[in-house]
Amino acid sequence: MRITRIALHLVPLTSHETYVMADGKACAEVESVILRLDSDEGLTGWGEVCPIPRYLPAYARGVIPAIAELAETLIGADPVGPEALMARCEAALQGHRYAKSALDIALWDLTAKAAGLPLYRLLGGRQQQSAPLYHSITCVAPARMAEIAVAAREQGIAQFQAKLGADGDWQADVARLRAVREAVGPGPLIYADWNCGASRIDAIRVARAAAETDVMLEQPCQSLEACAEVRRASGLPMKIDEAAHDTESLLKAHGLGCLDAVAVKLSKFGGLGAARRARDLCLALESAMIVEDTWGSDIATAALAHLAVATPQRALLAACDLSGYVTPRVAPDGPERSAGRLAPAERPGLGVTPDLDLLGAPDAVFA
Amino acid sequence: MKIACIEVWQKRLPLKEPYFLSGGRLRFDALDSTFVRIETDSGLAGWGEGCPWGHSYLPAFGGGLRAALDLLAPGLVGRDPRQVEVLGRAMDSTLPGHLYAKAPLDIALWDLLGQSAGLPIYALLGGAEGDSVPVNSSVPTGTPAQMVAALEAARAEGYRVHSAKVGGSDPALDIARIEALESARQADEQVTYDVNRAWTPALALEVMNAVSAGGWFEQPCETLDQCARVRRQTRQPIMLDECLQSFQDHLEAWKGGACEGVKVKPNRLGGLTRARRVRDLGVAVGWRMHVEDVGGTVVADTAALHLTLSTPAEHRLGSWLCQRHLVDDPAPGRGARNRDGLVALPDEPGLGVAPEPDWLGAPLARYEEAAP
Repeated sequence: MRITRIALHLVPLTSHETYVMADGKACAEVESVILRLDSDEGLTGWGEVCPIPRYLPAYARGVIPAIAELAETLIGADPVGPEALMARCEAALQGHRYAKSALDIALWDLTAKAAGLPLYRLLGGRQQQSAPLYHSITCVAPARMAEIAVAAREQGIAQFQAKLGADGDWQADVARLRAVREAVGPGPLIYADWNCGASRIDAIRVARAAAETDVMLEQPCQSLEACAEVRRASGLPMKIDEAAHDTESLLKAHGLGCLDAVAVKLSKFGGLGAARRARDLCLALESAMIVEDTWGSDIATAALAHLAVATPQRALLAACDLSGYVTPRVAPDGPERSAGRLAPAERPGLGVTPDLDLLGAPDAVFA
Repeated sequence: MKIACIEVWQKRLPLKEPYFLSGGRLRFDALDSTFVRIETDSGLAGWGEGCPWGHSYLPAFGGGLRAALDLLAPGLVGRDPRQVEVLGRAMDSTLPGHLYAKAPLDIALWDLLGQSAGLPIYALLGGAEGDSVPVNSSVPTGTPAQMVAALEAARAEGYRVHSAKVGGSDPALDIARIEALESARQADEQVTYDVNRAWTPALALEVMNAVSAGGWFEQPCETLDQCARVRRQTRQPIMLDECLQSFQDHLEAWKGGACEGVKVKPNRLGGLTRARRVRDLGVAVGWRMHVEDVGGTVVADTAALHLTLSTPAEHRLGSWLCQRHLVDDPAPGRGARNRDGLVALPDEPGLGVAPEPDWLGAPLARYEEAAP
């Protein structure tokens, strides 16, 4: 099989509820990049990456120039067995993992379609029927966050991520954690997520004041060292997100003793191949995983759902149904939240059929 | 003073000789450079250049640089350019990472700061440490005899500091190359053996512990951790380059005892602002540094030279001029120029060099305030 054409579509996604995070980061309308690979055998592969503005070293408008740089390597290449072609892409263009993530997902989609198998079978096989979901709660007033938590719990959700730090008021963050805990009762896991936006001191004060709410802290500060200090000072478990994006950073976080859990976001690592390698390393390190992506619609959601169900139950904390947070739905047959869980389709490949009318004319084509 | 408009040019810079990255990585015969001009309402204009070394050497390429400028430049229009660090933080907030794209804007801001103060940039970075700095030759990889001939040719041109490319899968050949160059090296000459990440740790130890070199070994392996492991098991001094990007990376290199020196390259680090922070750390912890840019014309060379010249002599090994490898010269006779292996800077305000308008042609993009 040969790749004959690459098309990219920029699709604006609107969040049902604007996501407010620490440091003035917000997620209201975000551009997603949909990548389509056509082959000489008539099969089509789909990929998606949707960077959140100002969140990671990634932006939607950086994807097309990166794929343009790789077009020469890709056109005419055999897409089956993505890792070999991705290695050639790495030699042609270093870094820019987020742009390569959309490409890598499309290569896996094509590979699985060529094999006639749902993608999870190529990622290790089905370890569980469906993956539990967490629900992310925007950083607003404590009472409103509690309402959102209750609404999510009624949909079967048992893990809640409370965004903190948007107003720089540590006592308000304590109130948020107490309100969410009170709303969902004892038992469910709550992630207290600062998205790197807290000082060490504020994070430690919040964690100690809210220790009785039994939360897991998430990436309070930028560096792994600072996160490890907060963990030591608070005695609460720590999830790492922004600072873990490759083998080296995972090993470092593990060495610092702050890798109780980690967000395995496909585009941080560079796609499904790299995320699978991270998954296998985290299994060995005994770190719990949240398999997800930064943002996105049905293609990104389907890709992470396949990796999530191919991950052993003991190590998979949760997945994230990104497409449930945004409109429009890029592929009507994409996986959906059901009783608080997510499962990929049984069709070959990712198992999603994007709505071509919705995508419209591509913003860039390489052939 | 306010930024009135920012213009961007793309220029293909043909190399005199095609270049092969070590370890059999891609060949390329031209660089893709981007020039930035920041014009103010006071009539002053500042220049910067961003020129990645191909697209497979570092996570940087021309198309990505210009796409990022499209996001960053509009946010600077209307701001006072003389607050370099404030605008740098604004850029970091708009787009995390992508340091290579921020570098030309940062350099143009330093140019404007220098011009508005009536001082060359090196005076704002700490002042000139001496009149000139040594620049190193580039000895391409080859047979031991070819490499010795290249070193002797460079010596005849006045070079006393040399950078020799080694690093293959045959340790015996690398050992022979290094021993030949060490025999040819004179007592007052320095040779850095630049491996460009081509060795595994095992290969690095095999070669470095076999040779009698008195030189430096640069970036022997891919990651900081691998280089630190090699450093602990060899007596050879190590200089690090590609594996260091953020200030935190440099702190980690210091804490881990991974190196005795670093390459300080404005385009890799995100401009002169961040390069100065690394330089100051290097002075504080006792590193020796090569301060130069990853690539580009005399504009990029000159920006880096301002930082080199303001670095204490005991902490600098030298610099390097990319201009020697290029067919084109956008500002003949101006800026940082090699005189018998030494380079000095003209005593002009700001950067002290700007590309000729005829050579640049029409800009690719122009960002200015929307009409009211």
